[in-house]
Amino acid sequence: MRNTGALGADGTTDQMGGEITSFLNPTKESDTGGLAEAIDKILDKGLVINADIAVSVSGVELLGIKIRAALASFETAARYGLEFPSGTNLETGAWKEAMKDKEACPQCGKMVEREQLLEDMCPWCGWESAKAKSRKKVLAKVELQ
Amino acid sequence: MVILSPENSSLEEVLDRILDKGVVIDASVRVNLIGVDLLGIKARTILSSFKTATEIGLGFPEGTNFDAPAWRDMITKQPCPVCGMKSRPKDLEEHGCPWCGWNYRPNGR
Repeated sequence: MRNTGALGADGTTDQMGGEITSFLNPTKESDTGGLAEAIDKILDKGLVINADIAVSVSGVELLGIKIRAALASFETAARYGLEFPSGTNLETGAWKEAMKDKEACPQCGKMVEREQLLEDMCPWCGWESAKAKSRKKVLAKVELQ
Repeated sequence: MVILSPENSSLEEVLDRILDKGVVIDASVRVNLIGVDLLGIKARTILSSFKTATEIGLGFPEGTNFDAPAWRDMITKQPCPVCGMKSRPKDLEEHGCPWCGWNYRPNGR
C-alpha cells in the first residue's frame, strides 16, 4: 500500500494508468498469448509438408524417401477430407458441425455459419455484410411507408 | 501494452505470411573424396498452408477425399478482389460482392 502511494506521489501515475488499461485488455497481456495464437493459426490454416529425398552412395541411388504430410486441426482436416484413423465414427456431432458451411467473420475472425453471417450478422461482434445492410435498409424504408 | 502488442502480432504475422507464401527448401549435397563421388543427397521440400497447397497443386496424403466441402468451395466459389471473401461468381458479377459491397460496374445496382 505504501509503495503504490509513493508511486502516486512521485507523479508516476502513467504506470498506474498502464496497469489499469492492461486489466481492461486481457487478450494482450502475456507473450504466451502470442505463441498460443500462432499455434492456433497454424492448426487453423493447416500445414502441408511434402518432401522428396534421395540419398546416393558413389553414384548409386540407395535410399528414396517420399513424404506427403498434412498437419491441421480436426475441423480443417475434416473440411479438406483428410483420412482419419480407422474406427473413427463419422456420425458424431463434431463431424456434422465441421461439415457445416462456415466462414470466418471479417471483423472478429470467429467461424460463423455462412448463411447467418451473410444474411443477418456476426453473432459474436455484430458485423454486418453489405447484403444484410442493404436488405435492412430496404426493410426500414418499407416500414416508413 | 503498447510495447507488447507489435511483438505478439509479429510472430503471428510472420507465420501467416510464411504459410501463405509457402516455403521451398531445395538442397543437393555431394560429398567427393579424391575425385570419387561418395555420397549424394537430394532433397526437394515444400511447406505451405492448405489453401496455398491447393492453389499450387501440391499432393495431399493418400486417402484424401477431394469431394470434401473445402474442395467443392474452391470449384464453385470465387474470392472478391477487395475483401477476399468467397461467393458465387454469378452473384459477384450481377449484384457485386455480398460481403463488402464491391461492384465492378460503378453505376450498376
